[in-house]
Amino acid sequence: MHTVYSRINNVSATLSTSLMVLLAAIACSSLLFTADPKGTLDVTSVKIFNGDSRRYSHRRGEYAFVNFNITADLSPLFNWNTKQLFLYLQAEYTNAQGVQNEVVIWDRIVRRKDDAVLKVVGKNKYTFREYSSKFKDVPPARYSLKYNLMPYVGLLTYGEAAQTTAPVQFPSAKERVE
Amino acid sequence: MFSDELKTLKRLGFRHVLLQVLNFASVLASGLMIWKGLGLLTNTESPIVVVLSGSMEPAFYRGDLLFLTNPPKTRYITGDITVYKIPGQGIPIVHRVLETHDVVKKYNGVRIVNPEDQLLLTKGDNNHADDIELYRGLDWLERQHIVGKVRGFLPYVGYVTIAMNDFPQLKYALLGGLGLLALIQRE
Repeated sequence: MHTVYSRINNVSATLSTSLMVLLAAIACSSLLFTADPKGTLDVTSVKIFNGDSRRYSHRRGEYAFVNFNITADLSPLFNWNTKQLFLYLQAEYTNAQGVQNEVVIWDRIVRRKDDAVLKVVGKNKYTFREYSSKFKDVPPARYSLKYNLMPYVGLLTYGEAAQTTAPVQFPSAKERVE
Repeated sequence: MFSDELKTLKRLGFRHVLLQVLNFASVLASGLMIWKGLGLLTNTESPIVVVLSGSMEPAFYRGDLLFLTNPPKTRYITGDITVYKIPGQGIPIVHRVLETHDVVKKYNGVRIVNPEDQLLLTKGDNNHADDIELYRGLDWLERQHIVGKVRGFLPYVGYVTIAMNDFPQLKYALLGGLGLLALIQRE
């Protein structure tokens, strides 16, 4: 009855069961942390310039350049099951043809609680183009700062940390920097 | 050591061996049923995937296990982490949605926005550029290419499968060992 094999079997079964229960408990504990911190987001300027498209050099397109300020304290989001915070700034608008667009223009990975107090004066990190390639007659866009809370184990959760108080207009395109 | 086991095998007889084979087959079958059942519930062809590359570091490392869902008639939003497979490219890719464009299409003369017509652009957190070069000539990622979105995360566990792929001997040793154990178990 008490062979080496059965002992190994029992010990490993107990270990793996308790490990699974512990991981499940940690994953569930994340549901108890419901911090929802809010910050402020200001879009200070939007400029649009003409340029060549990256893929097809013969095809011209318009590029938007956005400057923004973020102030937010997102440290309450950090709990014992927080691996990292993925922050992203998105522009959301419906163009003249009725196409709904969401475009991420900036992101940042926050891995420590100390870095979660944000004071960012930034500009877009990714190219911001319109789906139809022209920003002409495109209605104002809503900008918002969103986050994805990524755990050590368990469910991924999403939230919004800030948004502009009013939609921001797209100016008309310029050929070059003045 | 094995002579002892062989003796018990002889004593238990042919029926016992058959029974154990049947047991083994039922274990395999129920595993497959759970996998396919999960796939039906989550509406995706593979509800659990193993991360194979480092393009989403530091969020996901090689060998982490991801749980997917693919709810029908639902939009994908920026920040969602998708798993997609471009036709002609064997390995599914786990990357984050950077842009979504809900295009308007005509259905029976009526122009509507259907979530299934959504066009996406993705990017790996650890990559500098977006994925447009990975789309094999497509301008956008289409919904039909998407396997699912990541909902849950379990670290390291998937490394077993990576190890089995890298060292096939390990796979055969494991399968052989399990089969042998199933045959000579006494109860």
